[in-house]
Amino acid sequence: MDFLNALVALSNFVLVPAIAYGSQLALGALGVTLIYGILRFSNFAHGDTMAFGAMIAVLVTWGLQAAGVSFGPLPTALLALPFAILGCIVLVLITDRLVYRFYREQKAKPVILVIVSMGVMFIMNGLVRFIIGPDDQRFSDGARFIVSARDFKAMTGLREGLAIKTSQGITVIVAVVAVALLFWFLNKTRTGKSMRAYSDNEDLALLSGINPERVVMITWIIVAALATTAGVLYGLDKSFKPFVYFQLLLPIFASAIVGGLGSPLGAIAGGFIIAFSEVTITYAWKKVLTYLAPEGLEPSGLVQFLSTDYKFAVSFVILLIVLLFKPTGLFKGKAV
Amino acid sequence: MSDNPYHDDKGNKDRSIANTHGAGTMTPAHRKSGETHKVEGGPFLIGDTMTGGYGKGPDILHDCTIAVDKGEIAVIVGPNGAGKSTAMKAVFGMLDVRAGAVRLDGEDITNLTPQDRVQRGMGFVPQTSNIFTSMTVEENLEMGAFIRRDDFSQTMEQVYDLFPILRDKRNQAAGELSGGQRQQVAVGRALMTQPKVLMLDEPTAGVSPIVMDELFDRIIEVSRTGLPILMVEQNARQALEIADKGYVLVQGRNAYTGTGKELLADPEVRKSFLGG
Repeated sequence: MDFLNALVALSNFVLVPAIAYGSQLALGALGVTLIYGILRFSNFAHGDTMAFGAMIAVLVTWGLQAAGVSFGPLPTALLALPFAILGCIVLVLITDRLVYRFYREQKAKPVILVIVSMGVMFIMNGLVRFIIGPDDQRFSDGARFIVSARDFKAMTGLREGLAIKTSQGITVIVAVVAVALLFWFLNKTRTGKSMRAYSDNEDLALLSGINPERVVMITWIIVAALATTAGVLYGLDKSFKPFVYFQLLLPIFASAIVGGLGSPLGAIAGGFIIAFSEVTITYAWKKVLTYLAPEGLEPSGLVQFLSTDYKFAVSFVILLIVLLFKPTGLFKGKAV
Repeated sequence: MSDNPYHDDKGNKDRSIANTHGAGTMTPAHRKSGETHKVEGGPFLIGDTMTGGYGKGPDILHDCTIAVDKGEIAVIVGPNGAGKSTAMKAVFGMLDVRAGAVRLDGEDITNLTPQDRVQRGMGFVPQTSNIFTSMTVEENLEMGAFIRRDDFSQTMEQVYDLFPILRDKRNQAAGELSGGQRQQVAVGRALMTQPKVLMLDEPTAGVSPIVMDELFDRIIEVSRTGLPILMVEQNARQALEIADKGYVLVQGRNAYTGTGKELLADPEVRKSFLGG
């Protein structure tokens, strides 16, 4: 019984939140890895692209709520998601047209594009704050829990409860669908294959009649869709705050690099590795250990390795270790 | 080009932010295609008295002429740095042709981009990086047929018939294949568009002599289907043996021109380029 209680506590405080957070990171890292593989630079504006997409979702959600539209037990933001994706696509395509295309025509080296993306990041950052302000915005509605802790306790008779938030369930389902769609697209469709070909060998893609501008455009569209989805899911799960998306850049890059930049599979694995490390290291293990330890040996402290304030240090350390010992990442990233 | 600040390589080797794998190196002479016009007569494909060089650089080719007609194999040979590959690139539109013209099938295509030349029926196999290494053999062939909107399974079968080993390895990543097999993939990829002329830049570079003989056999086989082939070759003697037409280039100029047999028999050519 104690073992079951420990397991439930572990699921409630570690497994479930980490899976949801990992899915959000994976979606974000997929966008970073696609840009890296196809446009050949690390896009520092990715976090703020997520913020912009999520901001539109927030605004549309408010509009829908004001109009009395709701999605039953599901959050209204899901209805707003397609509009948000469209808005974000428009933004990144305009950015590409105004900024990145110039550097592509100059055949600028990737490192220059990295710096350019930082400039774009600051502009987007300002844009989002200008429109919606720097503060926390709540936009989740609908049923709060799929399974609440109290129901779970009543159902099982255990001392520990297991709560699964609606946002967590939706996150995992949406992430699985998005990843499945992306992999199908990249591996089975003519356009997806042409993107992989362009990533593998730009010159030969050109000789095969693949239009680079079209490949770039489709990449931005997919990245905008992924970034918006990740941003909205994160916002539903926690809350929407522009600065938080900027901070998310670190764990997202860590995920993409741990998995191997340029490898979509690696981005997903990396997302979960970072999420699980972050959550397990900042979790106070006292409760779980108390159930498991023999009588008299229960820990007296919190058994928390790091305060949650330092959670970004975890991704940073993992990033450092990977760059030192396996710079190509777990999945030997190279081409998409 | 080195004075272009956008091409500064500083910090560009950090793979965690900059990805140079597979980045484009081609510098097409024209970004946008210009006018083409009809011309009468002449060989099927000809680079006629071409003079030109890369970008704003000095002239590398001087009044250089290379041509290939239907059903022929034309071979460009010459010492290192003679401009063999450059002549080929000029025909394909990757070099600024300042004087002279390139004509294909009764049409002046001097002002077309390389991509548009592919659309007009030119198949080009570069010397290096000529396959998509991370993609399977079959995907490589599919990408070769990218510009085709019709059903290309027939053409794929023909390529597999020509290179049976590729059929066995169709689901293997092309980067895992041996040098000779990679070249087969490269030629197969170019054949997928059903080109009207095939251009090969040193197809036998870096493969063993046995594989080289096999590749030459396959090239002859392709040519028997009536497809004109223009190729640059390092192995002058063997190449001239199968050539209907041979061009010996020296310092970007036509030094000797003739049928393969004539050139092989020419004492001057033998002495200078074929080692006696």
